[in-house]
Amino acid sequence: MGKQAASEELASIPALLARNARKFGAKTAYREKEFGIWQSWTWLEASEEIRAIALGLLTLGIERGDHVAIIGRNRPALYWSMVAAQMVGAVPVPLYQDAVAEEMAYVLDHCGARFVFCEDQEQVDKVIEIQEKVHHIEHVIYVEPRGLRKYDHSHLHWIRDVQAEGRAAQQRFGAELAARTDELGYDDTCVMLYTSGTTGRPKGVVLSNRNIIESSKNSAEFDKLTADEEVLAYLPMAWVGDFIFSIGQAYWCGFCVNCPESADTVMVDLREIGPTYYFAPPRVFETQLTGVMIRMEDASRVKKWLFDTFMQHARKVGPQILDGKPVGLWDRFKYWLGDIVIYGPLKNMLGLSRVRVGYTAGEAIGPEIFDFYRSLGINLKQLYGQTEASVFITLQPDGEVRSDTVGVPGPGVEIRIAENGEVFYRSPGVFVEYYRNPESTASTKDAEGWVATGDAGFIEEGTGHLRIIDRAKDVGKMADGRMFAPKYVENKLKFFPNILEAVVFGSGREFCTAFINIDLTAVGNWAERNNIAYASYQELAAHPKVYEMIQGHVEEVNRSIAQDEMLSGCQIHRFLILHKELDADDGEMTRTRKVRRRIVEEKYADLIGALYDGSKEIYTETEVTYEDGRKGKISATLEIRDAAVVGEGKVAAQ
Amino acid sequence: MMDQGVEGYVTEDGRQIGGVLMALQNITLRFGGVVALRDISFDIREGEIRAIIGPNGAGKTSMLNVINGFYHPQEGQITFGGKTRSRMRPYEAAKQGISRTFQNVALFTGMTTLDNIMAGRTLKMHRNFFWQMLRHGPALEEEIEHRRKVEEIIDFLEIEHIRRTPVGQLPYGLQKRVELGRALAAEPSLLLLDEPMAGMNVEEKEDMSRFILDVNDQLGTTIALIEHDMGVVMDLADRVVVLDYGKKIADGLPSEVQNDQAVIDAYLGVPH
Amino acid sequence: MELLYNIFADPFVQMATMPDFLLQVLWEGFVTGTLYALIALGYVLIFKASGVFNFAQGIMVVFAALSLVGFYQAGVPAWLALLLALGVMGLMAIGIERLVLRHMVNQNEIILFMATIGLSYFLIGSGELIFGGETKSMITEELGLPTGSSVLDVAGGIVILQHIDIAAAVIAGILVAALAFFFNKTRIGRALRAVADDHQAALSVGISLNQIWAVVWFAAGIVALATGIMWGARSDVSFALQIVALKALPVLILGGFTSIPGAIIGGLIIGMGEKLFEVYWGGLMGSGVEGWFAYVLALIFLMFRPQGLFGEKIIERV
Repeated sequence: MGKQAASEELASIPALLARNARKFGAKTAYREKEFGIWQSWTWLEASEEIRAIALGLLTLGIERGDHVAIIGRNRPALYWSMVAAQMVGAVPVPLYQDAVAEEMAYVLDHCGARFVFCEDQEQVDKVIEIQEKVHHIEHVIYVEPRGLRKYDHSHLHWIRDVQAEGRAAQQRFGAELAARTDELGYDDTCVMLYTSGTTGRPKGVVLSNRNIIESSKNSAEFDKLTADEEVLAYLPMAWVGDFIFSIGQAYWCGFCVNCPESADTVMVDLREIGPTYYFAPPRVFETQLTGVMIRMEDASRVKKWLFDTFMQHARKVGPQILDGKPVGLWDRFKYWLGDIVIYGPLKNMLGLSRVRVGYTAGEAIGPEIFDFYRSLGINLKQLYGQTEASVFITLQPDGEVRSDTVGVPGPGVEIRIAENGEVFYRSPGVFVEYYRNPESTASTKDAEGWVATGDAGFIEEGTGHLRIIDRAKDVGKMADGRMFAPKYVENKLKFFPNILEAVVFGSGREFCTAFINIDLTAVGNWAERNNIAYASYQELAAHPKVYEMIQGHVEEVNRSIAQDEMLSGCQIHRFLILHKELDADDGEMTRTRKVRRRIVEEKYADLIGALYDGSKEIYTETEVTYEDGRKGKISATLEIRDAAVVGEGKVAAQ
Repeated sequence: MMDQGVEGYVTEDGRQIGGVLMALQNITLRFGGVVALRDISFDIREGEIRAIIGPNGAGKTSMLNVINGFYHPQEGQITFGGKTRSRMRPYEAAKQGISRTFQNVALFTGMTTLDNIMAGRTLKMHRNFFWQMLRHGPALEEEIEHRRKVEEIIDFLEIEHIRRTPVGQLPYGLQKRVELGRALAAEPSLLLLDEPMAGMNVEEKEDMSRFILDVNDQLGTTIALIEHDMGVVMDLADRVVVLDYGKKIADGLPSEVQNDQAVIDAYLGVPH
Repeated sequence: MELLYNIFADPFVQMATMPDFLLQVLWEGFVTGTLYALIALGYVLIFKASGVFNFAQGIMVVFAALSLVGFYQAGVPAWLALLLALGVMGLMAIGIERLVLRHMVNQNEIILFMATIGLSYFLIGSGELIFGGETKSMITEELGLPTGSSVLDVAGGIVILQHIDIAAAVIAGILVAALAFFFNKTRIGRALRAVADDHQAALSVGISLNQIWAVVWFAAGIVALATGIMWGARSDVSFALQIVALKALPVLILGGFTSIPGAIIGGLIIGMGEKLFEVYWGGLMGSGVEGWFAYVLALIFLMFRPQGLFGEKIIERV
């Protein structure tokens, strides 16, 4: 393997770890809240812990190139396990811990993992079950011993025991470990991440040390990240973003990774940590904003007035102040006052007071939501990325932030737009291959290293910013040849807080229609304020007043779409409100909460039929999967509504 | 019926159960003319999960209230912790290591989860009032130590996220968990659970069962529980006492009790 | 027309033209208000812990003050008399718990309320028996409390502040702070809140109801003694004081029966409100407004906000 690292010694994550232990030895590297207290580890302590795990893995007979699966929520011990696996020449493969057993079994089987790290009993149980079918799993190592005391421990180990074994075996394996760590090259595999993908089986994206380290370095320089950043690691460990933020950039820069106490305490932990560098998908920002708005509805009149007044002012001048543009003295004073009275306390409540660089990506974020955070003085930006790119394709530079673009190409990234509008990129972060899947690799990445994103978009003239319209394969044509961009419309719909999810149909059809999922929190609150009684999600979703409200939203979207000539055919003529939330457990969405269009189309074919045959209502039965894996059926009669469209006359429903 | 010798017995899942922790002998409890419990004897052994079951009105809750001293039986004796007595006060029961939860959740609703569980440690706290007012010296150390214990319980029951929430605002299932936490805070030698799964959905029941098993397994706490749901009981309990109309009609391993004709009749409502 | 003028304009004209006098009135009201608040606090303490409306709280104030003065008159030094009076309140608390409350566990609230009425007659009777029925004066100076007054130049006029009033306000403040600390930060405080919440559950975790009740009644006794001293210093010590103590009722209705901040704010609102009304509007309705203002205000509250200013919402945190 050729060593062509920019800096010879920093060709792998373990090498970065060694450097950090030398350079930042006494600085905090990890924090985790346990028993109500933030426990912390310095870089030196962390490197010792990691080394002990690595030695322990050697005592268990781990080989170079073995795959080590990691299943659990963000915890220091699991991050350490990944780096320890790298130290012994193995490849860490973090998995989504809430994946259904079938999906998990597929990934464990596909990557051929001999070792699996589990967070707790729940994960161990899943793996033991999978072991009946997947026979190459040899050792299971767990972090949380609770409830596992009585299990057969012949091939099951508590991580502390593994570490103790490792420490005791220092003499025996010390040299071996050093040798294996030293031989790690820049083009060796760093990590393998399975993309859930909107269609088909998950694919194992192989990323090299070069991919990860170059991407981390470039992006860290882009945003001037330092060793003093604080991040909260709360997004799935299997997601490339978490690997880049919590390992790549953290190790490159030497900053501290904080792990929440539990999945339910993230918001509280966020407040306590006050990260300086923060990533969240649009959904999180949306939920937080909805929470604030609901609280303000219940607040006293004075408070509400203050909030409204100052927020109005913030919307007016906040983004400009953030971008360093000229703002009048009086407006500045008012903003300063607002910061004391409203913005400051609000940011503190949201846990965002210290955020210096904030990013969102994955889905389009509603302009109102985006502006809300920016107007508070939070430097929230957008980026566009993929697992195959080691995250970064484009990012928004400070001072050039807008809600409708995804920024300029990151350092070292080239972008090309194909004739059909599909975006291609080439960068140091471009993945090596899909594991054991040369066909997919070949169809995604060409010989020159250009990768197809699968998204359609264009580079805005003048600014050089990339704008994304939709998934390339989803940008289709309607029956009369007009452009059909469902995602574009869906996003516009989803910007309404009352609409959680929308699925728009119309490819090869005369006109467009939509499924709507209401947001239970927002609509529930609205119902409460308007004295609308409901006993269930289903009942609320079917309420005529809710329909009326949603119809208003749909028609507003229609008016907005009509302004863009190219897309005006995408106006929604008919819609219905679904009786259940689209759910990853039912396969209707990916784990990252993207709608699986094909599956939805198949599953609800009867409903789509009704949208196009002019029915006023339709009876349907739907299979649902409960959290514990059991299946059940729900049935409902759904109303179908016509929405007003602009400019082309209503298509009569036969 | 099974052998209940002094040496203990082996449970259906193969655990060795030790000697007698509490023995109830010929307990009779009357309210005015109504006989709630009639001449009932059974024992609870160290380390076991003991279930008391029976149809509605069988006297299960009365039995639990006798054990923890809310009710004083007119006849009979209770031996616990080496002492035999005919009646106990709730305060004394708590002092001797008996903790309990209630059928309808009796929490301090205005206080937070943390304070509720902390209150459960009342009997473990010794520093006097004066030190406490100063919050200094030994009292502070003690408070920290108690807080640590409470945090372990919070971790154990996975209720970190509601640490600072007033329990009155919590959903029922979580309240039940907090109540269990409060009972555990006293580090009881005998834990009494009054219908721990009442009013829960399937998922919550599974969670609660797991917690009960974990408490028994990891903390080694002896548990006596009342439960209406037969299925749950048979999975959880090591031994089962069956009451009907205030009388004991069966006592033994779940498998034995399940096949007992008297029990089947009682549950099917065969007239006496 | 003139009536309207007298109601809606004249008082405000007076306030505006003589701001120093307005301040004086407000200050007087404020001091009275703190004393109302203290009495109300005694009720709140006991109500929170045992759910009993302690009818005897007013007479406890008198009884505490009487024993203090009584001990002093018997020749004991003032500081010792104070300690002894505290001791009497402690003994009384234990006595009440042992002889009354313990036997009434699980009884209906109304029965407990009746018991406190009985208690108040018992205290009146035994008080008269021991200390005699005549009016006494408080041993203000002997206790080291200030007696002078200061004149402040404010708003183009003067405001006179009695030092004893300032002391009363300060002591009331300290007492409230101490109680808040006691309730929220100590183990007994936590136990007390637990008992207030659920008797059975409190018993099951090993909280001794008897101990808690004794502590609460003692705390109420301390508050009563402090109130007795302050009130006595401003007027006299006599059984008539218990009538004043009834003012605590409207205060409680305003503030909520279970809220300590409610008791304080309720006390201040009523104290200042009735003074203002008496001075500026009293002439219109014949004087004596002070006597009924509080009750009318309470009545209005009962109609529009029966839970009081701080009912329910606050108890969750207190």
